[in-house]
Formats: sequence, structure tokens, C-alpha cells
Amino acid sequence: MKIIFAFLLIIFLAFSGYHLSFKKFRLPLFIRGFYLSGTEFLFLGFLLGPRLLNVIDNETVKALEPFTTFLLGWIGFLFGLQFEIKKLRRYPFEFLIGSILEGLITFIIVFAGSYFILTNINFLEDNLLLPAILMLSAAASCTAPTGLALSTTRLIKKHNNTVKLLQYISSIDGLIALIIFGLAFFCRIPFFSEAGLFYDIGKNALLYMGASLGCIILFAILLSIRKDGPELILIAIGMVVFTGGTARVLNFSPLLINFLVGFSLINLTRNEDRLFTVFVAIEKPVYLLLLIFLGVSWNFDTIWILFPAAAYCMLRFFGKILGGYVITHINSEMKKYPSLLGIGLLSPGGLPLAILLDFQKGFPGLHISLLAGMVIISVIYNDILSPNLLQRLLRDK
Amino acid sequence: MTQTNPLKKTLITNFLFLLFLTLFAAGINYLNKEGNFGQTGYESFALGFVMLAAYSAAKLLKTIGLPIISGYIFSGIIAGPYITGFLNLEMVHKFSLIDDLALSFIGMTAGGALKIESLKKRSRAIFLNTLLQSIMVFLFVYSFIIFTGHYFQFIRNLTHPQIIAFAVLLGVIAIARSPSSAIAIINECRASGPFTDTILGVTIVMDVFIIIFFTIAMTAVQIILAESGVVDYLSFSILFCAIAISFIIGALLGKLISFYIKSFGHDLALLLLFVSFTVSKICMAVNPLIETHFNIDFHLEPLLICMSAGFTVQNFSREGKLFLGTLDRISLPIYLLFFTLAGAALDIKALRMCWPLALCIAMVRVFGIFAATWLSGSLTKDPVKHKKNAWMAYITQAGVAIGLAQIAARQSMEIGVYLSTIVLAVITINQIIGPITFKIALGLTGEAQKK
Repeated sequence: MKIIFAFLLIIFLAFSGYHLSFKKFRLPLFIRGFYLSGTEFLFLGFLLGPRLLNVIDNETVKALEPFTTFLLGWIGFLFGLQFEIKKLRRYPFEFLIGSILEGLITFIIVFAGSYFILTNINFLEDNLLLPAILMLSAAASCTAPTGLALSTTRLIKKHNNTVKLLQYISSIDGLIALIIFGLAFFCRIPFFSEAGLFYDIGKNALLYMGASLGCIILFAILLSIRKDGPELILIAIGMVVFTGGTARVLNFSPLLINFLVGFSLINLTRNEDRLFTVFVAIEKPVYLLLLIFLGVSWNFDTIWILFPAAAYCMLRFFGKILGGYVITHINSEMKKYPSLLGIGLLSPGGLPLAILLDFQKGFPGLHISLLAGMVIISVIYNDILSPNLLQRLLRDK
Repeated sequence: MTQTNPLKKTLITNFLFLLFLTLFAAGINYLNKEGNFGQTGYESFALGFVMLAAYSAAKLLKTIGLPIISGYIFSGIIAGPYITGFLNLEMVHKFSLIDDLALSFIGMTAGGALKIESLKKRSRAIFLNTLLQSIMVFLFVYSFIIFTGHYFQFIRNLTHPQIIAFAVLLGVIAIARSPSSAIAIINECRASGPFTDTILGVTIVMDVFIIIFFTIAMTAVQIILAESGVVDYLSFSILFCAIAISFIIGALLGKLISFYIKSFGHDLALLLLFVSFTVSKICMAVNPLIETHFNIDFHLEPLLICMSAGFTVQNFSREGKLFLGTLDRISLPIYLLFFTLAGAALDIKALRMCWPLALCIAMVRVFGIFAATWLSGSLTKDPVKHKKNAWMAYITQAGVAIGLAQIAARQSMEIGVYLSTIVLAVITINQIIGPITFKIALGLTGEAQKK
């Protein structure tokens, strides 16, 4: 009964809450940014979770795992649907290269930093080290356009080109992050333990790619006929549940596999716009549910976690600044954008949180939950910092 | 250039999809045969598979004229624990959460589909049908068991009083209908008209009355089996009280829903799903609580609450059209899951054990329904095509009957196993045949596609 009660409570909070969140209330800027990103739901989850009120206990979290798989799948699928090639082609090619480069540079900086720190402090077991670093780097690479929503229309109009580039990068750089994150699952050695690491990676990669391709072919067949509204809702739910379940059965990431399916279907089938409408209809509640679930599993047992979180935040900050600097110097066309573009790319958005939850489900354990707790704090740091820095970028330009 | 026939394209596409989906699922199952892969994901995988496979199978069967819910039920039977075992019993039990949600949701749709004006017009027909079916179906099934029961190996071991008790309970359970199936078929066929209104009215009224009949039957059985020789009048008062309270709660809920639609209106589909789920879960929590604390068998009925809520929104507010439209828009995934899981839960093992008796009972029940609908149609001077075909619309049986059988089995241990086995077998037959005959009936009376 407790599971059902918790489930009802979570659903109620998410669906009643999203009408209040994401709105421009008159609050101080840093709180507004916090509020706009729905971060308060992380705290709500933490409050309801096993560490405080225990309304949603560990057993409940476990029982609701199919539901979290569904949420992750939905987010991944929706993210994939945003990559419609014919729409992406409308933007200059430099934008695409720049976005990928920015994501990669942040990834490399955070990867190098995390690797150096984690290998020296002996915090994680050997088999978790590489996946954890990949997760940290992938989460750091993501950007969201949340901060732009706080900017005034006058400021946005004045810096229209920069805003466009920021929006473009925000929607693209997650692609690199997600693919890199998928590599974390390739490194698992649970089923073919007698073989060497590279053999495992190869075999896992083959298995995961095969499963993804299978799902894509299946759904491309199904969606080759035009579907009406209710049928599309049913198919959307069925696809996400099936693909997410397949990923979990194979110990792979539901987020990534659904992303790949979403990406392929938007570019292969004839239902693209209507499919996107179905998915985007409940985007916000799904995101808030994700925050609640993350909040529930948020390990914040020690205050010392604030410091590594700050260090991680700094690494990301440095990566974004460097990434922004490099892409504004790749050719003459890009030079017209401010060199400090990176300070406009600090808002992390929902994707790193989805990556985090996915990682926690795929690699459970105390140390991983501490690491995830650290990333959550860093996301909060970024949510507080990013609106001010973005305003500064747009004003300084 | 030759153009592909859309029907042919649908057929080929769904066939290919179903084929590849099955192969894919078999492949994943093969990889997972030793159970060393992620078990937590297996439920999601199985649920997703069932949803997509049932959808596709129903589309295929629709091309040969079968109702889509039959497609869902057949898919459920095939995927269920008795045929391929893709969904095992534990999983079916776990997914009962979906059943609860769907039943309440369907209750709301049923209530919303009832309009006072239509009911008034058909009140005589509804009353007569309910009365005659209750009497005749009961009498036919009861007499059949009493007079021929000893010929069947399955119940030969029962004593005479036990056979009487068995016949009483089976007779009452035979009266039960499946409002969910009726609503699903009516929606699918977009049926409308006096015949449809009568069927819907009778099915829903019967759903209320069956609870009363069942309580009376249980009391009678207790006397027959000499567990207690006294008629428990208190339990009757409590039953009527619970039904009345369920209706009142439903009416209040309906008022709240119409207020919400009028004042806010956004995310109505999500709100209705949430309300359905909450009602069913609160009833499940409150009923045992009352039983434990006050020592009375007080059962709030989620289905009645939701029906009453739907009825209130439809008839006592201006929001009925939007309400019903919203329910209709999200009904497909709910019907699919509900009927597929219902199919998976159908006890094929029970049917295999006692199919001769089950088949006979199912046939006798149909005769009872036919006699009652013919007589009622004659008394209300219905058109001949209505009189001739009405019996086909009342065959479906599902959740309520199973629930009653389970209660009866728990409370009358001596005949419990026999009763639940035979009821499950009869329901399996009725639920396979019922939707098909219902769709045929709607077609023959000319009320399909009239909405």
C-alpha cells in the first residue's frame, strides 16, 4: 500500500507542480533560475525520500523501477526526436561543428580532471572507475537553454545571433554527452567474465547495437503507416516501455537506446510531427518526475560532499569556457561571436540528471550514489550561477 | 503506377511487425534464458511486448471482422502463463495495478455514456430485461446443475446440499455481465440507438444488482451448508448502505470533476486517470480498514463510484461532451492493457480440466439470456431484429464474475475449488465468444457506426 501511496503522491506532485514551475514569477534572479529549472522538486524528492520523511522508502523506489525506466526512455526518445536532420540543416554547418567541439572539449577536460582525482583517491572499485568517469564527463558536457528564458526580450532581440548559437549548442551538445555515456555501459563485464576487457566491450557493443537496430527496424515497420492520435499515444507508450525494458534486460541504458530509436524514427518515418507532439505533451511532468526520483535517491549524508561538487563544477566551468573560446575561433564566421561564449553555456538542464538516474540504476552502489549526489549538488551550483553569467555575456557583448 | 490497397498494406505491415516483434522477443528471451540478465527490466520488456503485439494482432484480426478486444484477449491468452508463458502468473498478478486503474476508468466511461433522456425512453425495456434475465438465467443454470450435475465427473463427488449451493452460486454468477467489454465494443463500433442504450443500461444496472443478488445467494448458501442457520439481516443493511454511499461519493466526485473542467480544464486526461486510480486504491485501502476496525463487511465499490461520477458529469453539468471526448481519446492504451491482461489471466488450465461442463453451462446461460431477451422484447414490442439478436450482446463476462467466484470460493471452502475452476472456465468461453457476438449483434441491428 505504501508503494501505491508513494506512487500517487509522486504523480500528483508532478502533475500539479508543473503548472506552477517553469513560469516567470518575480523573484530574485538566482532563485528564479532555480525555480525555472524545477530544482525545487529535487528537494521535494529528497524530503520524501528515505533519508528524511521516508514516505518513499528504498523498497518503494525498487518497486517503481519499471516506472523510472519508462521516464528515462521517454526523455531519451524525446531527445532523439529533436534531431530531425532536415531541420538541423537549416542552421550553418559551423554551428554543428562548434557544438560538437564544445561538447568534446568539456568532456575531455572533465574526463582528465576526474580521472586524475578518482585514480588518486582510490574512491571507486576498478571496474566502476571508467564508467563513473564517463558518466561525470558526459553529464558535464550537457547544456540547456534554461537561462535564456530568464533573459528579457529586449536583450534576446539585441543579441539574436548569439542567442541562436547558444540555443543550437544547447540542443546539440547533449548528443555527444549521451553517446559517450553509452560507452560506460559497454565497459561492463558481468556476463562474459572469462574474456578480456576488449572482448567484452566488443561483445557488449554488438549486443547493444543489435538490440537498438532491432528496435529501430521494428518501429519503422510499425510507423510506416500513418496512425491516428489515440493509436500514436498507444504506440509511443508501447515503444518506450518495450525499448526501455529491452535495455534493462540487457543491462544497457534505456536513455540511450530510446534516444537512438527516437532519432532514427524522426528521420525515417512519416509520423514525425505527430509523434513529436505526443512526446512533448507530457515533457514537463516527466521531467519533474525525474527530479523527484533523483531527489529520493539523493545521497547527502556528508556535508563534505559540497567541496568535490564545487571542484567538479569548476572543471565543467573551465571546460565550457575553453570550449566556447575554441569554437569562436574555428573560422572567421564564428569569430563574430563573443569569446566568452562558454559562460552562457553553464545551465545543465534535464539531460545530465537523466544520465545520472540512468547511471544509478545501471550501476547501483554506495559510492556511485555518493558520486551522483555530488553531481546533483553541482547541477544546483550551476543553476544558481548560470543565469547571472548569461546576463553578463549578453550585456558585455 | 499501381497503388497498394490500404487494407492490404495494413495487413502486410502488421503481419511483418508481429513476426519481427515475436522473433526479437524470442531472441531476448533466449539470451535471458538463464536469468542472468537484468530481471528488473524484464517486466517492462514483457509489458511493452504485450502492448505492441496485442495492438498489431488486434489490427490483423480486425481485417477479418473480429472486434479489437477479441484481438487483445487472444494475444493475452497466447502470451499468458498457459500457452507461451511469456507473461507468467506472477507478472499477471503484478500488473493488476493496471486492472484496477482500467476498471475504474471504464466505470467512468460507462457512467458518462448513460444519458437520462435515453434511459427514460428505454426504462421499461431496461427494467424488464434486467428482471427477466436475472430470473431466467439463474433458473436455467440452477436447474441444469441440479438435474444433470451428477452426470459430470467434475462435480460427482459433491454431496446433495453442496450441489444445491454450487448451483445457487453458479446461477447467480451467470447473471453477471462485463460492462468493460460492453463499453469497449460500443465505443469501437461507434454504436448508438435504442438497442445500444438498452444493452448499456441493462449491463450497468445489472452490475449494481449482481452485488445484491450475490449477497442474498451467499446467505442462502450458508444456510444450505448449515454454517449458520440464521439470516443475517445486518449484512443486507450494510450492503445497501455501501452501495448508496458509493453512489453518493461518485456523485460528489462527478461534481468536483465538472467543477475542475469548468474552472481549469487543462490536462483533463491525466486528471481522470489519476482520479480513477486514486478511487480504486482508496477503496482497496478503506474496505479492509473498516472491516478490521468495525468488524463489518463494508465494501465501497470503485466501479460504482466511478460510474456515478461519470453519470453526474454527463447528466448534471454542461461538461459531458468534453468529459466523454477526453475519456475516448485515452481509452485505447487502457482497453488494450486491460483486455490483454484479462486474456492472460484466463484460466486455460481450468478450461482444459472441465470443458464439457463449462461448455454446457455456457450454452444453458445463452439459452436463458435468449429466452429472457425474447420475452422482454415481445413485452416491450421491440422490432424483431432487436428481439432476435439481443442475446448476443449479453454473453461477455469478466472481472465481476471472477471476483464473485473468488469471494464465494473463500467463504464456502467445501465447494470453493470446484466453483472457481468452473467459473473461470465458463468465463473463458464467454469472454472469447461474447465480444464477437456482440459486434455481430450491433451490425445486424444496424446501430454500428451511427454515432
